[in-house]
Amino acid sequence: MSAPETRPVLEAEGLEVRYGGNLALSVDRLAIAQGELVGVVGANGAGKSTLVNALAGWSRGEPKATGTVRLDGRDISGLRTPERVKAGLLLIPESRLVFATLSVDENLAHAAHPRHAQGRRAYSTDEIFDLFPNLASRRGHLGGQLSGGERQMLGIARALRLAPRALMLDEPSIGLAPRLVSTVLETIRALVDDGLTVLLVEQNVKATIPVVDRLVLLERGRILAQGPTAEMQDDPRIAEAYLGGAA
Amino acid sequence: MNFAQQALNGLILGHAFALIAIGWTVLLGTARLVNFAHGQMYMIGAFVAWFVMSSWGLPYLLAVPAAMLAGVIIGWIMQATLLRLTIKQDLVSIMIVTLGFGHMLEGAAGLSFGSTGQILDTPLSLKDIYIGDLWITWQDVAIVIVTIAVFIALKLVLEKSRLGRLVRMVAEDPKLALLAGVDVRRVYLGVFAFEGAAVALAAAVVAPRTPILTSMGFQEVIITFVVVVLGGIGSVTGSYLAGLGLGFFTAFFGAYVSQAYATAAMFGVLIVVLALRPGGLAARAGGR
Repeated sequence: MSAPETRPVLEAEGLEVRYGGNLALSVDRLAIAQGELVGVVGANGAGKSTLVNALAGWSRGEPKATGTVRLDGRDISGLRTPERVKAGLLLIPESRLVFATLSVDENLAHAAHPRHAQGRRAYSTDEIFDLFPNLASRRGHLGGQLSGGERQMLGIARALRLAPRALMLDEPSIGLAPRLVSTVLETIRALVDDGLTVLLVEQNVKATIPVVDRLVLLERGRILAQGPTAEMQDDPRIAEAYLGGAA
Repeated sequence: MNFAQQALNGLILGHAFALIAIGWTVLLGTARLVNFAHGQMYMIGAFVAWFVMSSWGLPYLLAVPAAMLAGVIIGWIMQATLLRLTIKQDLVSIMIVTLGFGHMLEGAAGLSFGSTGQILDTPLSLKDIYIGDLWITWQDVAIVIVTIAVFIALKLVLEKSRLGRLVRMVAEDPKLALLAGVDVRRVYLGVFAFEGAAVALAAAVVAPRTPILTSMGFQEVIITFVVVVLGGIGSVTGSYLAGLGLGFFTAFFGAYVSQAYATAAMFGVLIVVLALRPGGLAARAGGR
C-alpha cells in the first residue's frame, strides 16, 4: 500500500445532519488525504450512509445538513449536488448504481466536461474496459440487464468517467458473492494506488480491513474512533463487534 | 361519406392528436408531471398565431415560431413556479396548480383576444386537394408531415444525442442523475419549455382546421390524456401509434355512429385498453 500524503483532499468540520428534529449525524472533523483509502465502518443505523450523503450534498430523503465540507481546501458546503460532482466529489450510492434503461455504452458516455475537470483525471472508455474487461463484452446491454457485480463495476466506471478528485462508495459489497466482494475491493485498492482518494463505507469489516489505509468507526452518528488500520483492527470495539472476538 | 374519405380523415386526425399530445408525453415520461393547462396552452398558441398574422401582418411561416416562443415562455414560467413541487413530485399540488394556470390563461386570453370565435386562416388551409372523390387541404398534409418530422426528430434527439441521454437519465432516476452531475432543475425547465413549444406548434398547425375560441382547450386535454395513457406513459412511439389509432376511431365513430358521443367513446376505448393492457399499448420506460 502506498503511504498517503498529508494534504487533505476531503474535509468535514462540524458536520451535522438532522431528520426532522432528530440528530442523525454529528462529526467534529474528518479529513482524507491525497491517495488515501479510508474505510467507514459501523453497525446498521450508525450514520455511515448519512455521512457520505451529507458530504455529497445528496439524499433520497429530506435531511437538513449543516457544517463545512471542503474539497482541496475549497469550501463546497454551499454547492448543490451536481456542482459538487463538477468540482470532483463523486458518490456511488448504495443499491442504485447505474441507469438501468441506458446501455453500458450510454452509461459511460456521460463524462466530465474538460472545462470542469482541469487537472483531474477522467478515465477514457478504453481505460475503463482495460480495468473492467467484463463490461467490454456487455457494451450494448442495458444497465438493468447486468449482474450485481457488473453493475457495481459499471457504477465505479461511471464515476471514473466524471474525473473524481475524491470518490465515495456506499456499501459496494452489498448483495455480492464473497468472491466478487474481494474483486471489487481489490479494484478500489488498485484505483487508490493509481492516485485516487477514496472514502469507503462498508459493513463487511473483515473484507475491508485488508484494503484500507485508515478506519473510521461510527456509532450512533458520531465518530467513536479513527486511525491507521493496523492499530484500529486491534481496537477491542472493532474486534468484538465486527471481527468475532476480543483483540 | 365513403370509407376511404373517413380513413383519410382518421389519418389526419390521428396525426393531429399525436402532435397535440407529444409535449405531454415527454413531460410525463421525463418529469413524471401532469399539466392540466395543456389545453389552454394549445388555445394560447392558436391565438398568438392568429394575432400576429391578423394584427401584425406576419406571414404564417413566422406566426408558427411566434406561437412556439409564447409556448416556451409560458412553459418556462409554469415550471419555474412549480419547481419545488416538481422536485418533491407532489402530483396533487401540481395538478391543482396547473388547473389554476389553465384558468388564468383562459382569462388572460379572453381579456386580450376577446370572447368571439376566430378563424385561423393560413395559406395552406385555403388550398384544396382532390384525389377522385377524396378531399383534403394542404393544411392537412402539413399536419401529417410536421407530426412525422417532430416524432422522428424527437426519437433521434432522445436516443442519439447527449441532451436526450440527460433527459432519459432524469426520467429514470432524478436523484441518481444529480450524482452524475446532471442539473436536474434545468432539465425540468427545458422539458416544460419543450412542452410549451410543442403544443403551440400543434396549435399553429392543427387549429386552422376549426374555429378557435378562448374557451377551448378541454377537448385537447382529454385527447392528450387518452393518447398519452394509451400509448404507455412516456413512450414517444406509443403516443404516435395511440394518436393514430384514436384518430381512426374518432373518424369512423363520428361518421358511422355519432359525432356527439365521440369523446365518451374515446374514454370507453381507454377503459377497455387499460383493463386488457394496464401499461398502455406500447409502454416503455425512459421517455422513448
